[in-house]
Amino acid sequence: MNTPVVYEAPRGIGVAGLEASILDAFHQLRDAVTGGRAAVVIVRDSDLLGHGDPADAALANGLLGLVRAFATEGVREGWVVNILAVDEGADDATRRGWVERLSDPQGVVGALIRVGPLHLGRVPV
Amino acid sequence: MTSAAIITGAAGALGQSIASRLGQDLEALLLVDVDEQGLAPVAESMGADYVAVDLGSDQAPDILSDALDERGWIPRALVNNAGVNRDARISRMSDEDFATVIRVDLVAPARLALALGPRMPDAGSIVNVASRAAFGNFGQANYVAAKAGLIGLTRSLAIQWAPRVRVNAIAPGLVDTPMTAGMPEEVLSRLVDRVPADRMAQPDEIAEAVAFLASPAASYVTGQVLVACGGRSIAP
Repeated sequence: MNTPVVYEAPRGIGVAGLEASILDAFHQLRDAVTGGRAAVVIVRDSDLLGHGDPADAALANGLLGLVRAFATEGVREGWVVNILAVDEGADDATRRGWVERLSDPQGVVGALIRVGPLHLGRVPV
Repeated sequence: MTSAAIITGAAGALGQSIASRLGQDLEALLLVDVDEQGLAPVAESMGADYVAVDLGSDQAPDILSDALDERGWIPRALVNNAGVNRDARISRMSDEDFATVIRVDLVAPARLALALGPRMPDAGSIVNVASRAAFGNFGQANYVAAKAGLIGLTRSLAIQWAPRVRVNAIAPGLVDTPMTAGMPEEVLSRLVDRVPADRMAQPDEIAEAVAFLASPAASYVTGQVLVACGGRSIAP
């Protein structure tokens, strides 16, 4: 299996940085899947829930939508695109392990994995 | 001071319905759209004021803030309804089409909310018109990302501005507008077949839900997404 493309959402971009950041992610995901590689997007779980800067929240949720759109469109082609939401305490080994699982061509697609307890008892995203 | 509702995308079918409905609840309406020819008669028919502006421009929030100041109006409600589609499969989507949808459907409402939210009085309300498509749709990667981003923005602003201003989103499914009427009949029929309600929404039905979120009836509701899709989002 090829090395997956990992796109980690930048933070502190402000509203002015939203367009460029989402377009950049679109390019990276499209290049990955059309090149036969898996793609994993990484965001902060707190941003998915809107616990912080509005632009960071918009970007994290926009990337979740983008992953779902790629997954919807790539079902027949076998595109592997998933998203990982981590909290601030997630270490590198945890992240690497989840990226590996989410890149498995026999695994899931369009899935959101939320590492850490932040989402418990809160609104589904 | 006069309490006003600002409705973007007011020249379109859904925007008109929302404006007409909110006109029953608010003292004044400021209608906004890039299409002045379409907007002017709508505003006239409702006795509303209007501003024709491209919401994708950096100046739009200042133009609308100035328009409120000139009239001595305070923004009691903002409905971010304006949006565009540039559908294409991912492999064929141009950067221009992708970026335009992000700019108009996500960045513009973010800028407008950030400009007007701090000026709202206590119990002010913002309603962002997202879409059921935010959960994923074929051929709309740009639109899906923009509307999902709008939901994230909604949550963050709701937390930041509570308890003074409530911020919610509505996620409509298929709505009976000239845009959907322009779809090939067999495509539209296939889409409607997947809706448990077995029909599209009428714009007035979505407008009622927007009016609820904007009104004191929803005074304990903030940071939420009201999915108004006839059950499509839970259908097999």
